[in-house]
Amino acid sequence: MLELQNITKIYNPATITEMCLFKEFNLTIGDGEFLSIVGSNGSGKTSLLNIICGSIPIDGGQVRIGGESIDRLKDYQRYKKMGRVYQNPAMGTCPHLTLLENMSLADNKGKPFGLGSSVNKARLSFYKEQLAILGLGLENKINIKVGSLSGGQRQAVALIMSTLTPVDFLILDEHTAALDPKTADIIMELTDKIVKEKKLTAMMVTHNLRYAVEYGSRLIMMNNGGIVLEKSGAEKKGLNVVDILKIFTDISIECGN
Amino acid sequence: MSSLFDLAVGTMTQGLIYALLSYGVYITYKILDFPDLTVDGSFPLGAAVTAVLLTKGFSPYLTIPVVLAVGAAAGLATGLIHVKLHVRDLLAGIITMTALFSINLQIAGSNLIVDRAVNTIFTAAPTMALLGGTALIYRKLIITFIIAVLFKILLDVYFTTKSGLLLRAVGDNSVLVTTLAKDKGTVKIIGLVISNALVALAGCIVCQEQRSFSSTMGTGQVVFGLATVIIGTTLFKKLSFVKGTTAVMIGSILYKVSIQTAISLGLPANLLKFITAVLFLGILVIGNYQKSGVKKSA
Amino acid sequence: MKKLIAVLLSMAFLFSVTTGCSKKIPVIGISQYGEHASLDNCREGFLQGLKDAGLTEGKDFTVNYQNAGFDDAIATQIAQNFSSNNVALMCGIATPSATACYAAAEDKDIPVIFTAITDPVKAKLDSGNVTGTSDKLPVDAQLDLIRQLQPDASTIGIIYTTSEPNSVSAIADYEAKASEYGFTIEAIGVTQQSDVTQAADTLIAKGVDCFSNLTDNNVVGVLSSVLEKTSEAGIPVYGSEVEQVKLGCVAAAGIDYYLLGQQTGAMAAKVLKGEAKASEIPYETISEYGIYINSAALSEMGITLSAAIADKAIESDKA
Repeated sequence: MLELQNITKIYNPATITEMCLFKEFNLTIGDGEFLSIVGSNGSGKTSLLNIICGSIPIDGGQVRIGGESIDRLKDYQRYKKMGRVYQNPAMGTCPHLTLLENMSLADNKGKPFGLGSSVNKARLSFYKEQLAILGLGLENKINIKVGSLSGGQRQAVALIMSTLTPVDFLILDEHTAALDPKTADIIMELTDKIVKEKKLTAMMVTHNLRYAVEYGSRLIMMNNGGIVLEKSGAEKKGLNVVDILKIFTDISIECGN
Repeated sequence: MSSLFDLAVGTMTQGLIYALLSYGVYITYKILDFPDLTVDGSFPLGAAVTAVLLTKGFSPYLTIPVVLAVGAAAGLATGLIHVKLHVRDLLAGIITMTALFSINLQIAGSNLIVDRAVNTIFTAAPTMALLGGTALIYRKLIITFIIAVLFKILLDVYFTTKSGLLLRAVGDNSVLVTTLAKDKGTVKIIGLVISNALVALAGCIVCQEQRSFSSTMGTGQVVFGLATVIIGTTLFKKLSFVKGTTAVMIGSILYKVSIQTAISLGLPANLLKFITAVLFLGILVIGNYQKSGVKKSA
Repeated sequence: MKKLIAVLLSMAFLFSVTTGCSKKIPVIGISQYGEHASLDNCREGFLQGLKDAGLTEGKDFTVNYQNAGFDDAIATQIAQNFSSNNVALMCGIATPSATACYAAAEDKDIPVIFTAITDPVKAKLDSGNVTGTSDKLPVDAQLDLIRQLQPDASTIGIIYTTSEPNSVSAIADYEAKASEYGFTIEAIGVTQQSDVTQAADTLIAKGVDCFSNLTDNNVVGVLSSVLEKTSEAGIPVYGSEVEQVKLGCVAAAGIDYYLLGQQTGAMAAKVLKGEAKASEIPYETISEYGIYINSAALSEMGITLSAAIADKAIESDKA
């Protein structure tokens, strides 16, 4: 369970561009939830992810996981129990290493990287099984350098790698935004499949209102550092894109966009 | 002609000794993607420590572990300055290199010669017991070959370990390393430590071979290292079975051969560096030459 | 792969063509550390010394001259070249080149003759099949000269490069002997040439009575800029060698590097002719020094010469 309690974040304090993004912001995500976050640019959705992951500091409040504060933990320490897929497909894999080596890296997450052999032959069939889930034929290309794969393929691999070892949270940071519509659909389907199969708690930031509506158990819309709309459970199932779009546009007009 | 053979042997020896430096620069420049200028300081550091130890009667073989430790410390300094004090890579190396210049002067003065009466790894009893019958020039070749190949193999094995894989990852995509819950700063420090240990070792062997330390001997070594890494990796770009370490070792040998060729050509002495540059250009052009039908990589 | 073999083969070919068999005429390998007025004078003097001993270039010997461009690693490879080609004699000009030659001669019997080394003992070139000439600065003579030309002076400013062995040696000498002549030394060590002019500014600000030069490569390299500053401040600069006096130093009790070279050439001739082995000839320190003056600079500084000095002194542009 992830709790954001009274989060305050001010960008560029005491300067001419000072901007208070979050003021006593609260959000709780329960175990097993698949939360979609939508909002216009500048609404705070990406900052929210960065605050959770520890990439940016906060000026007030606490972030708690499982009841314990994680504020003291550095970014790399927080990732022990979190997975993240980035918008840029290049950020999730190492291009000059082979698919097998990338999988081996991901497989070793949480364990020491000592002087043992980097690739465990015994796990080879497991890696191939995992890659087979993607349905892209990558299990047959396990020895090629990842840099020669397409953006969509790299993002798919990044998705598998981020959940290869057990994690409490999966953070999806506009992970389909840089893909063409067909590939984006494939990745979104795969995301849903993996989240369901591994029973993960997931947070997805997206610009794609259709994905936000069709996937996930809960949806929030953010604006100016606050939540302006929240739907979950049965209510969410009844939503359709047109309604959301209207709300989105209304808010935008109100804010003078 | 025996003189040509001797010259080849001597040049090969130089190439093999400096291959250790090339390994070091390969790790930081190619794998970590960290331009490390510490090299100009850690190379003479190895030589300074060796010269002093040998003059004091220390075992020439034991200078090797000592120098590895000392070079590692230099790499650690750069790493800590970069990671903990948030100084950018190039500058962190420059700071350590500058400090080392003074430190080297303190250790060994402006220059220190090792008397012929003092034994080096090429003349000490254990070596003579094994190779006593061969001429010095060949003993030097054999021993430097053993050292260069030994450390090459150690490095190659290291790269197949989990730690080695993580090192390769941090230079390729440091964001992924963070997402894998590892501190990329620590990983970079490990790379710098290993690299500078090897560079200092190169300085140690050079000092034993030349019997001298000079406080200016480090100037331009990082340029040498980069040249050999680029020459080696460019030439063997298409041959993926040739490991990176092998490629840069050959790069070092080719560099020394180029210089010796220029010297032997008997052209005006001032043109030595120009000729060397032309030879490098030739090597790189040949290396970049693609057979028709093969797409030049993007 | 084929390309690589082609490269290596053509290099091997070039090697064999150039290291060709120079029949029976002995080759003298001259390894100079870098191009520099004093070192060049040394080399030319060396060749003259051989000539004076009755040896003709082209008939009795040929010369293979290489310079290392102030790069230690290249000096090593030059020495290897000489050694592999079994030259009859190696001449090393300046410490790094000479020690490289001697190291390359380990295990072979090639005699090494050095020149322009201030401290052959420290360079471990005082025994073995090696000999040569040392350009130890005539510090006593210089201090005496300064005392005579500036009877009231008390501080001498000296700039030197901390990594040049000749300079480090000379500074120690100066500091040991200065008090005998009633002077104190203000010495500033720099690490590179670009720091020299700043050091000059500092010494001028400290109000030294004069500057004295060592045979420091970095300082000599930017002597003109230093002289500009000292000239403006009215501080005389004493050189260590005639070329420096020509440039504008008031005077020098200095070594003539050409003569040093000649002395060296004479020793080399003895070895080549078989009259003596290098191991049998003790190295020589040049004891002859000349007093060189620059009258224009002297009058600019308001210094007049006593008759005793005027008699001995050589006008630098006539040297």
